[in-house]
Amino acid sequence: MEHVDETPVIELRHVDKHYGDLHVLRDINLKIARGEVLVVIGPSGSGKSTMCRTINRLETIDSGEVLIEGKPLPSEGRELAAMRAELGMVFQQFNLFAHKTILENVTMGPIEVLHMKREEAEARAMELLARVGVAEQANKLPAQLSGGQQQRVAIARSLAMNPKAMMFDEPTSALDPEMINEVLDVMVELARGGMTMVVVTHEMNFARRVSDRVVFMADGQIVEQGAPDEFFDHPKTKRAQDFLNSIKGH
Amino acid sequence: MSNHAKPLSIRDALYEQPGPRTRRRVAIGTAITAVLVIVGIGLIIRQFYITGQLAPRYWTFLAQPTTWRFLLQGFRGTISVALAAGVIALVLGAVLMLGRTSGIKPVAAVCRVVTDFFRGVPSLLLIYFFFLVVPQYGIRLSSFWMITLPVALAASGVLAEVLRAGVNAVPRGQVEAALSLGMRPGRIMMKIVLPQAIRFVIPSLISQLVVVVKDTTLAYVVSYPDLMQNARVLITNYDALVSMYFTVAVVYILVNFAINKLSALVAERLGVKIIR
Amino acid sequence: MGLSELLSTYGQDYLTALLTTWWMTTVTFAFVMVLSIAITVMRVSPLRPLRVVGDFYVQVFRNIPGVALLIIIVYALPNLRLVLDYTTCVIVTVILMGSAFGSENFMSGINTIGVGQIEAARSLGMTFGQIIWKIVIPQALRSAVLPMTNLLIAVMLSTSLGSQVPMSPDELTGIVSYINTRSTGGILAFLIAAIGYAGTAAVIAFIGNRLDKKVRILR
Repeated sequence: MEHVDETPVIELRHVDKHYGDLHVLRDINLKIARGEVLVVIGPSGSGKSTMCRTINRLETIDSGEVLIEGKPLPSEGRELAAMRAELGMVFQQFNLFAHKTILENVTMGPIEVLHMKREEAEARAMELLARVGVAEQANKLPAQLSGGQQQRVAIARSLAMNPKAMMFDEPTSALDPEMINEVLDVMVELARGGMTMVVVTHEMNFARRVSDRVVFMADGQIVEQGAPDEFFDHPKTKRAQDFLNSIKGH
Repeated sequence: MSNHAKPLSIRDALYEQPGPRTRRRVAIGTAITAVLVIVGIGLIIRQFYITGQLAPRYWTFLAQPTTWRFLLQGFRGTISVALAAGVIALVLGAVLMLGRTSGIKPVAAVCRVVTDFFRGVPSLLLIYFFFLVVPQYGIRLSSFWMITLPVALAASGVLAEVLRAGVNAVPRGQVEAALSLGMRPGRIMMKIVLPQAIRFVIPSLISQLVVVVKDTTLAYVVSYPDLMQNARVLITNYDALVSMYFTVAVVYILVNFAINKLSALVAERLGVKIIR
Repeated sequence: MGLSELLSTYGQDYLTALLTTWWMTTVTFAFVMVLSIAITVMRVSPLRPLRVVGDFYVQVFRNIPGVALLIIIVYALPNLRLVLDYTTCVIVTVILMGSAFGSENFMSGINTIGVGQIEAARSLGMTFGQIIWKIVIPQALRSAVLPMTNLLIAVMLSTSLGSQVPMSPDELTGIVSYINTRSTGGILAFLIAAIGYAGTAAVIAFIGNRLDKKVRILR
């Protein structure tokens, strides 16, 4: 890694988690440096989404530590809310607020959490909506938009908080094929702009093209990680080789 | 999201996994409210006690088989009215629904007015109609029909709407496909739409039975011996008003609770929603 | 009796009865809403005893027949030294039953909100209170409009329980019973009251549908 001396934006130390008898995360250790784009891949049920969700405590952990800029993630209350406000999260199902317009979706966080003035929040929201290409839809409701547009709004909603890092939990998995690229393009743009990103995805092209590092998970463990070209061309472990073979042609 | 252990109900999703502080607060709150609830229950029991309602003479009749035999007789009356009214309401509801969706304007309009009328009028008013008004025209009905018919009419309006919701839930494309095969609209309704619609609404029909059972308790107005009416008879015999009414109320609650549970169970089995 | 005779003799009684039904419905429904909210808060609270009591309340009062509850309140409560006048008894009965259904409506309103929206709000750094007030309640209220319209109609129909106790003045069902026991009012005597109910129900349904169209959340 290139940024060794700097405190990682996100760090997971010996993270373990069970669902009943199922050991979903096993001793996860991971550091994400500022500006790094980390792609997490692996078969379904490998724990990659769960890992992503532990970073802002949408999932709790049984043991270990989650550190944000070297500080432990608070476990509740305003401290936790404040920490979450600094991390963006984009979900598979978009999760836009159904009763709010697109513009209101994007201004909700800045107004409610950052106590920004409405006019300021709206101006900034319009800027972001233009950046993700849905400015014309600002006064529509989420249900009136296509999946791809909704996901781009969700990204704008996260960006409106000026996050230190963004997590993407399978952001294109619920999209029709023709809409996947419009979302990926926005993400590529973000990555180029220097955003620190954790991306759980099945989009191998995106992983190869954009990521700084690929993490391969299986059975709740990090099995292998490395630079994208190295990982995709010369996977070291059998599990990773099998996985890559199984998705070829998709 | 495949590794979520169990799908969260929204009731639980409102709360996060608690941290230590929250856990402590919840524990304290739980303890306090538990005490409050227990004290509340205690106060109610105390009120029963100091007013003498817990005296054995008010409750011992519940141990006598004759009491239950008589109540069971009444319960049989309740069941016969409920079932008869349910069947009539279903037939009438189906007729009203078919009329309303027939596409024949005057028929549809009449069925709509009739449906809305029966949905918008209290069962008690319909009971008084059969009890007080109908005899004025020289028509003599038995007490069974004087309770069964109004309960059935009141339910028919609701059932017509439930059935219509079921018909609307059948994908439009199937009707179009059938039309393109040259089937006539009437046949399409009978052969394709209705069978599926009924599947959609079975749980809702079951849950509507609760409304019918509740309405049957008005049978005492026409002196038909249902559970409620027989309970009233027992009260005059035993002079045990509070205990008797509580017992009967509990029976009704349990019966209706069971019907609702059955409805929910069937809904889950069939994978359909309950329309209310 | 013809219509003109019926109206000249009992017209004033009908009007009073209709107004009585209306004000009972209004007062009852206001209390139903308040109590529904309270019960719903109990049922979604993190405190188990409150949840249990709330769930129990709903199961009891949505399954008890109205007349059984009315009789308990009218005849049994005085034995427990709790005496209410007849009109209050009817209103309390309908409030208890109505609020059980009202709470069910709110609960299913809350249930239409996806877990995902709550998580998204959490990720933005919104506090529990903000999530409840900005995300949960607005959506639950909007999707409760239509069920609550139906509940309002059901509440009105349930005030007909007033005919089972000596109320003064009578409400709309009681008046039909009153008229028909002293003269042969015939089908007209019944129809006037029925139209009073069905007409009110139609107006309520119309307004409810309009409101619902305005606030409904597309999904």
